[in-house]
Parts: sequence; structure tokens; C-alpha cells
Amino acid sequence: MAVGWRLLRSADGRNRIGAVLVLAAVCVSTALLMFAVGANHAFDARAAREAWRFPRADAHGTAVEAASTDYVRGRPITVVELARAGAHPPVPPGMTTFPRPGERWVSPALATMTGHLPADELADRFAGRGAAHRLGPAALVYPDELVAVIGRAATDPGMTARREDDGGAASPTRISAYATTTPSTSDATGYTILAKIAAVLMVVPLLVFGGAAARLTAARRDQRLAALRLVGATPRHVVVMTVAEAVVTALLGVVVGLAVYAAATPPLTRITMMGGSWFLGDLWPGPLWLAGVVVGVPLLVGASAVVGLRRVVVSPLGVASRQTPPRLKAVRAAVAVALLIAFTVAAREAGRLGAGIVVALLGLAFLGLNLLGPWVVGVIGRIVAGTARGVTGLLAGRRLVDDPRATWRTVSGIALVGFVAGFLALFDPSGAPGMDTATNRLGIVVRAADAGAVANHVRGRLDRAHIAARVTVRTVPSPDRVGVTVWPRDGGDVDRVRTALAGTVPGHVFTTPADESSGEQTLFRDIRTGTLVVLVVSFLVAMVSAGITSVSSVLDRRRAYALLRLAGTPLSVVHRARLRETLVPLAVMGGGSLAAGLVCGLPLALASPVSPYGLTLFGSFVVLGTLGVVAATLVSRPLLHAVTESPSPQPD
Amino acid sequence: MTVDASSPVLDCRGLVKSFGPTRALAGVGFAVHAGEAAAVMGPSGSGKSTLLHCAAGILRPDAGEVRLHGERIDELNEERRSALRRTAFGFVFQFGQLLPELPADENVAMPLLLDGVGRADAVARARAWFGPLGIGGLERRRPGELSGGQGQRVAIARALVARPAVVFADEPTGSLDQATGQETMAVLVDASRRGGAALVVVTHDAQVARWCDRVVEMRDGMVVREWHAPAREPVRA
Repeated sequence: MAVGWRLLRSADGRNRIGAVLVLAAVCVSTALLMFAVGANHAFDARAAREAWRFPRADAHGTAVEAASTDYVRGRPITVVELARAGAHPPVPPGMTTFPRPGERWVSPALATMTGHLPADELADRFAGRGAAHRLGPAALVYPDELVAVIGRAATDPGMTARREDDGGAASPTRISAYATTTPSTSDATGYTILAKIAAVLMVVPLLVFGGAAARLTAARRDQRLAALRLVGATPRHVVVMTVAEAVVTALLGVVVGLAVYAAATPPLTRITMMGGSWFLGDLWPGPLWLAGVVVGVPLLVGASAVVGLRRVVVSPLGVASRQTPPRLKAVRAAVAVALLIAFTVAAREAGRLGAGIVVALLGLAFLGLNLLGPWVVGVIGRIVAGTARGVTGLLAGRRLVDDPRATWRTVSGIALVGFVAGFLALFDPSGAPGMDTATNRLGIVVRAADAGAVANHVRGRLDRAHIAARVTVRTVPSPDRVGVTVWPRDGGDVDRVRTALAGTVPGHVFTTPADESSGEQTLFRDIRTGTLVVLVVSFLVAMVSAGITSVSSVLDRRRAYALLRLAGTPLSVVHRARLRETLVPLAVMGGGSLAAGLVCGLPLALASPVSPYGLTLFGSFVVLGTLGVVAATLVSRPLLHAVTESPSPQPD
Repeated sequence: MTVDASSPVLDCRGLVKSFGPTRALAGVGFAVHAGEAAAVMGPSGSGKSTLLHCAAGILRPDAGEVRLHGERIDELNEERRSALRRTAFGFVFQFGQLLPELPADENVAMPLLLDGVGRADAVARARAWFGPLGIGGLERRRPGELSGGQGQRVAIARALVARPAVVFADEPTGSLDQATGQETMAVLVDASRRGGAALVVVTHDAQVARWCDRVVEMRDGMVVREWHAPAREPVRA
């Protein structure tokens, strides 16, 4: 251990670059891992805070709870109505007392909005006794959510009439306590599953990348550790030294990564999902997760370093000799294809198998790409080397055959982003057909027998509020029910109409077609945001990964490059060879994984493959991916120049 | 006894080279003729490798001049000196000189490929060297699959394949046992001579220097003695 620490401290310039690369890699990995874990925690936290609005029936309950969704300026307002039905009714989260009849509790955002809008557009809907109380954060899904809790008498018509139970409304129900989990059919539950899929899509490339970085340290120390073995260090000594060095470096990386994530959290809370931004605490997973990251990442890095050392441990001469690398077995390809097919089949049966299995299979399909990648790179290498006429192609091809895994590490990030882009391209949020977004009318559905009375009641209320509007009765698909529709003469009167008609039919709210489709619109908007976030994160990983592996490949091969330059090879030839050994596999693997992603995404697709959104996503990926990897390769150009400047090749 | 009177293929005069405060060459003169093998000897730090690097256009001297076939090469820019190293010089080193991912024949063909010769032609010309150098049948082996001596012979073939004017060898037997080292030197000297190239060998080993026609001894960045081998007859003090 002491020798390992001394090795790390006394590292020369090149080895220090290696340590800095690993540190940077671990830092980026940690920050992104925290983001993936934090996002999941955030959705779970939201679901937990939303749960109390879904009443859980208890015939002996001491309170009655009902919920509905109202709208103002196109934004949803969650309205929860509570009535005492016995002694000691449960106090809702975010409130200090159970509301008495006529008492109102509103969220800060709703209070602000009420202050800004004319009373006949919003405030009058929640008229009651005294000033409204303020709801605490525990009652809110997100900070700027519009929520109102209204206290009612148990005999109030609104607390007895049944409601159209759907995502936004719940009929009055006797409860003894508030629910702590959302029902499996709720949007919140759906979102937590989507968040887990996103986490898999982000974390798998991260693991590959972190592992590659860890092996880099070990590989770079091969020569010196082999020398230690030659002078009698036991395999245990070597392993302990390597692990100690890798873990110390990784621990530093984790600390820096956590600091980076902490700095990035405030801007991240502004990403809008489910109609709102986030509480800062949502994005910080619990202490258990945090400890898991702090302990787990360095351990993973240490384990990867041991794998990288395997050869030295087996034989002191292991790293010195250079033999024809064994061909990677075609069984890799078979396993990978089988995994991809398994996922595609399973995704079609997602409903029956359950989301957990589908998410796990997605992870496996993703890892399958990692098995396939090096094998394909090797095949490409043999083709390139076999058909090369000039020195550039020959060098590139032989290099690919020699170490396909190294090249795969450079392009894997992009290939995996390609898979994500392909997978997500078919989730086209703009492609949802037949969505009515009109805001020129408001409607309500009532029993056919009540239609006349309701229409008259509505007309009376509108007259008293001096709102000019036409009231019609229309049929709806459901038998013995009809729709009552209000057509305000002035399109801007929608919120005045809503306010004037509040409580006309107890528990029911007049809504525009746009309001009714707002949930769907939010979902599509969120899918778009989510896919972009996943893509951007994966892309960042890919770029950092490509840059780091490119730099490390220069360091690893510095002797060969120095010799080429010494023998009069223009550096431009070396650069061209390096670009080709990256770009050819990139084109094949990037394209291939796009296609694989498409195939895997097909069963879950929302739109046809030729949607403009999908095409834009594809196009951006191809252009940015290529530019990014070329840029990452160019980053190492000055280093290549520097490491080849030494006049004669030196032993490591 | 005098050295060959005809004009030298490579002629270094008054070379001075410093690295920071350390003066590696302090006014060195050195010349070598076509078909001649010259050894540069000296202890570690005497400046012999720096002399090789300046003579081969790898380093630029601070003062003095280097002429190849009578033309100054020390004033050329990096690009032209690179081209010269590719076409007019060959190199053999102690280690690390073969590209590990290329089979032996492609390693040997590398200088020709870099010079724009087509692949099939370059590899065919490269393979022609394997038999005469005693490594026939090893053409498709990779460097890791060759012994030290075999690897050095492949390196010698590569140094000579482009028919260079001068072959520079820096401790070419440094990583070999004595018997293999002697064999390698024999092959190097013989092949260079038959190829009409001048050979410059930098070594600290007198056994290696014995294979050359002439020995130049350096100390503290200066030539202190020069004699013809094998008689070891001093040419000048």
C-alpha cells in the first residue's frame, strides 16, 4: 500500500496526465450518475407528495376527501375539498390544521396569481371566510404548482355528489388517513417508470466509460508493475498497489463530481416536467444513495483496474510480449443479437411482463451492444487492412484488428447515444393525432335528465355576471348523458365564465377542449424534454469519453508514434490514420446502433418513423456525433506532437 | 593510415549542441563514406547519441553544419528533414522500433509505403530482404512473436529497404545476448555494405565497435580519439 501511494505521488508527467484523466472521468461519471439517481429520486419524491390527493377509502374514516382539476389561463389548478366526518380528522401534509368549512388554503403560486388577476376571473371561485391560508411545500408536487384546499361541511352538495373519476378528479371518499403512494394508474407512477428507463439509458454508457477510464490507469502502469513483479512483488502486492492507487484517484474524482453536481442542481431544477419545476431537495437522493455513490464508484473503479491488471498478475512478462491478438469470437455477435431480439419481443408484451422486466431487458440489450461493438470493430479492421492501398489505411486497419476494444471505447459513447437517439426518435410528441386545443368554448357533461335545468341555471349565472354567451346542449358518446356547452362572445372571457359558473354542478368544472387535452399535451412535452435531457447527457458522456480515450490512446502508443515520426513519417499521416481508425468504426457502429435503437423502440413507438421530429433528432445526432468525435480526436493532436518530440524512443 | 580520400557521403563539421546549461556537443567533426561502417563510442553522457541525432536531422545543431552528398541539411525545415529521414536514412534502435500491430513484412515495407510506393510492390520488395537476412518464413509474424535477434533483423531490413545513403544504429545490440548481438552486427554491417549505404553505429560496447571499419571515441561532447578497426590504430590524438 505504501509503495502504491509512493508510486502515485512520484508519478512523472505522463503518468500524472493519466491520473488526471481518470480523475476527470470519475468526476464526470459521478456527476452524471448523481443526475440519473437524483432524477429518479425527484420523480419518486413528487409521486410521494402527490399521493395525499388520491383518497383511499375507509368506511370508518373521520374525513371526506374529494378532488378536481380547475383551470386558469390554461394552467391546471388542483382543488382538494375536505370535510370533517368524525373526531380528529387527519391533517393534510403542508397544513397545520384540518380546514373548517369555508376555510381555504392555497399554494404560494396560486396566491400570487389570485392577487394579479381580477377577482371575477379567479378569486371568486374560491370565495370563503377570511383570508386564505398558505399551503406548505409538503402539499405541493412542484414549487409553482397551483393548488387550493377548500374546507366544506360534510353535507355540502359538493361533498356528496359523484364525480367523473379520472386522473384529475376523485369522488368524495371517506378517509382515515392520507395515501402515501400514488395509484399504479396515475401519471406520477408512469413518470417514475419512464425515469427508470432514462436512468438505464444514461447509466450504462457511464459504466462503460468509467470502466474504460479505470483500466486506463492500470494499463499505463503495466510496465512499472511488471518490473515490480520481476523483482519479486507478489500478485497480491501488485493488486493492492493498483487498487489503492485507483481508489484514491477515484475518491478524489467522486468528491469533485459531487461538487460539480451540487453546482449544477439549481439550474437543473428549472427543467420543466409535469408542468412545473423542481424543489432543490428533490434532486438530491437520500443519504443511503449518496453513500452508495461515494463508496460504490471507487470500488467499481478499483475492480475495473484489477481486470486491467490481469495480464501483469498472470505473468511478469505478460505485458512485454506482443502477440497476435486472438480474434474476438462471433458468439459475441450472436449473444448481442439475441439480447436485442429478446428486448424487442418483450417490449411488445410489456403490458403482460411488467415494466421492471422491460427496463431490465433494455439494460441487457444495451449491454449487448457493448459485446457486439468490439467484434464489429475487429471485422471492420480486417476489411480496412485487407483493402488498404496506402499507409494510412494500413495503419488504421491493423490498429483496429490489434485492439478493437480500444477503438470501441472511443466510439462506444456515440454508438450508445445512437441507440438512444434511435430508440427515442419514434416517441414523437408532435405526432399525437386528433388533439383538440380550442379555447373558444367551455363544456360540462351531465345526466340527460338534468340538461335543461343545468342549461337554465348556467344562463342565469352568466346573466348575473354580465357575460354575453350562447349556451347549447349537445350529445356525447355516453348514453343518457349530454354535454352543456358555453360559447362566450368574447374569447377572452373564458376564465370569467369559469368563475361565474363555479359550483353550478357540484364537484364538476367547466373546461375547454384545450384543458381536457392539457394532460396529454404535458405528457408529450415531457417526453420531448426527457428524451432531449437523456440525449444531451449521453452525448456529453460520449464526448468526454471520446476525448479521454483519444488522449489516453496517444499516451499508450507514444513509443510507436515517436518512432514513426523519427523515421520521417509526417505527423499528418499519423493524424489521418488516427482519424480513420475512429471514423470508419464510428460510421458503422453509429449507424448500426441507430438502427438497433429504432428496432428496439418500434414496439413502444408513438409515431411513424418519418416524423420531422425524429428526422431532426437523427440528423442532429449524425452531424453532432461526427463533429464531436472528430473534435475529441483533434484535442489529442497537440499531445501527439509533444510525446513524439523526444528524439529517440525511450523504454517506459 | 588515412581514411578514404573520396568525398564523404555524410559530413558533420564543428557541431555544437546544448540542452539548457548542459553542452552535449562542443565542436564535433565527423564524416562517413559510402559503404563504410563507423562506430561512435563513448561513455554515457559523452554526446554520442546527440551526434547521431544531429547527423540524422532529428535535432538541429546550435552551430556547425551537416552535409549529405555535399548539401547542407541542418538548415532545412522540419518537413524537409522528415522527408530526408524517410528517403535517405535508415534507423536501427535498441528497442521499440517495430510497430507491434503490423506483421514483419509490413513493418519492413513501411518506409516504401510512406514514400508512396503501392502496397503490393512495397510488400514484395520488403519480403525480398527476409531470405538474405536469415529470417525467411517469418514474414507474417508480428513483433511479439519474434525473438530479440529476429526482431533486430527485421529492423535492419526496414532500415535498408528504401536503399538509404546512411544507416544509423543506436546501440543495436543493447537488448541482445552476446552471441545474438555478434550475429546481428555481422548482418547489419554486411547488409549495409552490400546495399552501398554508409553505417553509423553508436555504442558503448567495444565488441560491437570491432565490426566497424573505423571507431570514433567521444568524451564530454568532443571527439577524443579516432582509429581504424580491427588494428585499433590511432588516426589522430
